[in-house]
Amino acid sequence: MIGRRNLSIGVRTLLALVLVILAGFPVFWMINTAMTPVDDLYSNNQRIIPDFSRTLNIFQVLVSDSPFLRWLGNSALVAGGTTLLSLLLACLAAYALSRYKFVGKGLMTFGFFATQMLPEALLIVPLYSMFMTLGLLNELYGLVLVNTAFAMPVAVFLLKSAMDTVPYEIEESARVDGCNALTILQVMFIPLIAPSLAAAAVITFFDGWNEYLFATTFIHDTSNWVASTGLASFIGEFTTPLDMVFSGAIVFTIPAAIFFLLMQRKIVAGLTAGSVKG
Amino acid sequence: MASLTFDALSKSYGANTVISDFSATVDDKEFLVLLGPSGCGKSTMLRMVAGLTDISSGTLKFGDDVVNTLTPKQRNIAFVFQSYALYPHMTVRANIAFPLIMDNFRWWHHLPFVGSLMRSRLLKRPDITAKIERTAEMLELTDYLERRPKALSGGQRQRVAVARSIIREPAIYLFDEPLSNLDAKLRMQMRAEISALHARVQKTFVYVTHDQVEAMTMGTRIIVMNEGVVQQYGTPAEIYSAPANEFVARFIGSPPMNIFAATVRDGLLYVDDVPVLNSAGWAASVVALGLQKVSLGVRAEKIGLKSPGESTDLLSIEAHTLVVEHLGAETVVGVKTGPVGATVDVGVGASRGLHYARIAGEEHFTTNSGCRITFASDAVHLFDPETGTRLEH
Repeated sequence: MIGRRNLSIGVRTLLALVLVILAGFPVFWMINTAMTPVDDLYSNNQRIIPDFSRTLNIFQVLVSDSPFLRWLGNSALVAGGTTLLSLLLACLAAYALSRYKFVGKGLMTFGFFATQMLPEALLIVPLYSMFMTLGLLNELYGLVLVNTAFAMPVAVFLLKSAMDTVPYEIEESARVDGCNALTILQVMFIPLIAPSLAAAAVITFFDGWNEYLFATTFIHDTSNWVASTGLASFIGEFTTPLDMVFSGAIVFTIPAAIFFLLMQRKIVAGLTAGSVKG
Repeated sequence: MASLTFDALSKSYGANTVISDFSATVDDKEFLVLLGPSGCGKSTMLRMVAGLTDISSGTLKFGDDVVNTLTPKQRNIAFVFQSYALYPHMTVRANIAFPLIMDNFRWWHHLPFVGSLMRSRLLKRPDITAKIERTAEMLELTDYLERRPKALSGGQRQRVAVARSIIREPAIYLFDEPLSNLDAKLRMQMRAEISALHARVQKTFVYVTHDQVEAMTMGTRIIVMNEGVVQQYGTPAEIYSAPANEFVARFIGSPPMNIFAATVRDGLLYVDDVPVLNSAGWAASVVALGLQKVSLGVRAEKIGLKSPGESTDLLSIEAHTLVVEHLGAETVVGVKTGPVGATVDVGVGASRGLHYARIAGEEHFTTNSGCRITFASDAVHLFDPETGTRLEH
């Protein structure tokens, strides 16, 4: 019996290890490539263990040869703005969809869903013309708006599902206690759906952080570039400094990873336990 | 002054009428119980009083004020939900204080961020803290003030819900089956606590339940409802001793009131073709009412059981025992009319037409033995067999 259990644990550990390697190898290779001089990358001197002595050097080159930190800051602004605006609007929309009956509710839900059906590339031309008319071209808040338009519906669905699980009695009790709709949303719903809010924050943040197509189309000024556009610009027509590209990729990954780790701690279930007798 | 007046109150969902033409007046400081089986509309009625459900037609008054269009907050009520509805992300202290804090909110306190700042400031205000402490002490919650609801037992959660309702000292207290999630022992304890609370606060209570024991023990007035229609409104004693119809008669009392379908034949009453001895006077009364058939209602405790041959000058019907439940202080005997073997006594048929007698614990009966049901004339309630309404005799 114990032998079979050990075997089962062994098989599961092995499978987990394979998955970790599959997922982790690209990250390892990114670090390894960043630490290897470009000449060595195309020779037989390929290294398996990254040469960490070059760490400081390559980041220095990255920062001095390009405004990468500025681009990173722009990315943070766009991603942060997208997250805040998306969550703000999604909370209001999800609350209305979850708790109110109104004319056009079905159509509105379908409208949110429809935004996810259209590929971004299809909308780029009309959006460009719209941005030009409204003077949003080359502006970071323009990117925030367009990213929000695509990220918010996902957040709405996520938050609406979470709000549907909040017992009606809690809302009614708050009404008896004197809360208006906005207070109920702030004081009752938002704390109770915090895990889903964190999940929605992760999704919308990455939507803004990783976005490339709109950023490269709508932002022309180099100083207003976001990190994804900047990173792609390292790829030259004749030469590509791969060590710089990959060290940029590392720097690009770190803030997103930190944000994810921070949010992950909030994504816990069971917050409504004890409110109503189940 | 918070008397309650229901004037032809109705509630419909489309073509489906849940409550029709509900009229009653409840005096100030009464403990009104809305009693009825599941789905009879009693919770809907309570929610209409609270302002959580719209009133389709009719008028609802608190004192002299029509409150039909007022919000729950404007009605100055407290509502204790069946499921407690505590705020899970707040401590017991914050839960209890919440109505009081909201009372002190100005319009701009409802704005984002301002609200949370004001809530934590108000929670520390000395007069509010004192009130929380006093309420918590009253309900023995002082040791749990810093806990979250999930760390409390069912009874404690129930007490937090009650504490939250009383802290604001509302004009009317509304309870929606607040004890149905508790075990039997705790329910008894909480029943006493809620009754004591009513005596202490001296306000109007409206309490919804399907449990007749709660209704009889706590209420000063009871409204019995069925299918959205008021069946009877009166004191517990009136409802028990003079039920307005067969439904009330059978709904109140455990075991329910025995209803014998009697027919007048040859100057006597017959139940299931078995003659009711000494019923000549009753038969004449029924005929005088212009009826040939009548329902005789007799409470289980008013029924005596005698051996088949024993003579009696009470009304009596030949019967046989089917179920004998010894409960210690008393024995409940299930009987059917007619001699042993006269009726189908297996499967579903066994419980059909069963009548109950509640007799002293020391009297012994065995199942499937012949007996006589006896009852005094003054124990009989007469009901119209067609409409079920009470017939005065």
